[in-house]
Amino acid sequence: MPKSLFIQFSMVLLGLAMLLLPYLATAETWYVKKSSTKLQAEASARSKILSRLKQGTRVEVKKKSGKFFQVSTVGKTGWIFRFKLSKKAPAERQGERDVLGALGGNQRMAARESASGSSIRGLSPISEQHARKKGATSESIQAVKDMEDYKVRPEALDRFLEEGKLGEYSQ
Amino acid sequence: MHKNNLKIFGVSFFCLWVLGLLLWVVPSYSFNLDQFLKDVEKSTQPQPKPRQEELDITIEEPKAPPPEAQQNTGNDGLIGLGQSLGIFDKKTSKILKQSVNTLQALQPIAYKEEKAIGGRLAVEVFSRFGGVYDDPKLLRYINLVGQVVADVSNRPDIEYHFAILDTESPNAFATPGGYVFVSIGLLRMIENEAQLAGVLAHEVAHISQKHALQTLGRSRSLQGLSALTLTVMDKNPGLFDKLIDEVSNVLFTKGLDKNLEFEADRYGREFAYRMGYFPGGLQNFIRKLGKSKEGGNSIFMSTHPSTSERFNRLKKTWNRYRKASLYPVLGKRFFSVFKRPSKS
Repeated sequence: MPKSLFIQFSMVLLGLAMLLLPYLATAETWYVKKSSTKLQAEASARSKILSRLKQGTRVEVKKKSGKFFQVSTVGKTGWIFRFKLSKKAPAERQGERDVLGALGGNQRMAARESASGSSIRGLSPISEQHARKKGATSESIQAVKDMEDYKVRPEALDRFLEEGKLGEYSQ
Repeated sequence: MHKNNLKIFGVSFFCLWVLGLLLWVVPSYSFNLDQFLKDVEKSTQPQPKPRQEELDITIEEPKAPPPEAQQNTGNDGLIGLGQSLGIFDKKTSKILKQSVNTLQALQPIAYKEEKAIGGRLAVEVFSRFGGVYDDPKLLRYINLVGQVVADVSNRPDIEYHFAILDTESPNAFATPGGYVFVSIGLLRMIENEAQLAGVLAHEVAHISQKHALQTLGRSRSLQGLSALTLTVMDKNPGLFDKLIDEVSNVLFTKGLDKNLEFEADRYGREFAYRMGYFPGGLQNFIRKLGKSKEGGNSIFMSTHPSTSERFNRLKKTWNRYRKASLYPVLGKRFFSVFKRPSKS
């Protein structure tokens, strides 16, 4: 009799475990939004940087703590500022952004015509030629070029955030 | 007897497990025809598209498609034949035509083309609105604030460029591809860094959500084109002329659709909040702009919805920013960079 009770009890536990299995199997996958995103040892902007992740890197979120997510990726576990992550895969986000519609055709854009955001620099020749043709001054054209050339170093941005207690440095 | 008990328990728990599995899976894959038809109809409306961002911002639907979106785009073909033969009723034909239009609307524009349009418009901004305001320290500060909010936007993977315009009229612009402008007149009205972050984030939101390109997407001058590439633009100078004229007219004269401005306000506030700024900066600035004499005379007012409407809409969704008062406004840092002569 006690043996049969034990078997029945085991069956109950097994049944519950199976019942919960689908819920436990749901892992939360997020993606890195921008290249050079920091993976840190702790949920703090001042902790050691374990590595820098590329845009689109898939991470599994294990824990959430304030503005940081603990994630595991490519054999490493660390913390990332949550707003550097997106639930959507890069391709999905790209599709969402491709909104220029109603052109009335079916051809897809040639692969050579598309490129990622960070790889295209400088005022396009077609823009400059058109501006000159329409009588824009050299000063206005140069102003756009200067605007494009202006760069803020990542360390300066980091210092700016730390001083203002912003972003990953916010309390 | 024992064996029977075991069987009953085994079968019961297997059934429970299957039930649990179904409860978990079915909602994700259930098909509702009525909802599907509604979705098809909804998807043919112009932008802004509803989307679920990381923090579940609710984006309101545009009320009605503009006339351009409703015009016959020549997709009658088989659907029209089906309707005339009585295979489809009028409503079904309409839904099918809209679906065809939706599929065609997937035509993408690449960043290279977006930047060519935005770069040309950026030259136009400098030409029309006073050129460059020369203050390296202030320019660096604008770039720092702008860059940090762009980094937590929905599109941080492109380069953003920030500039100050030498005009006393309060104004701010964004052109496609990442160009953001703010006038010195507008900066003089700002009271702290949280307000500045809100204003710059509003402009970043126009770029991240591709608002100006959405207007272009409904352009009549692009009808019949299969793709808008640099090659196409290069071979058709007249087409590039028209594109620039149309977007210039929207950005500098008519203004974007009201709903796109409201969307940029909501996202702008959200981006500033993500970065840790007091999220009420943008709405406080909008209220100040509405009350000011300078604001009333600027083209900023003629190209945007009324400041009271913008303020009220932002206020309606303020509840989600609990504990907002704990976030910094950084007034001291703002004035340490942008010193102003004392009023006395």
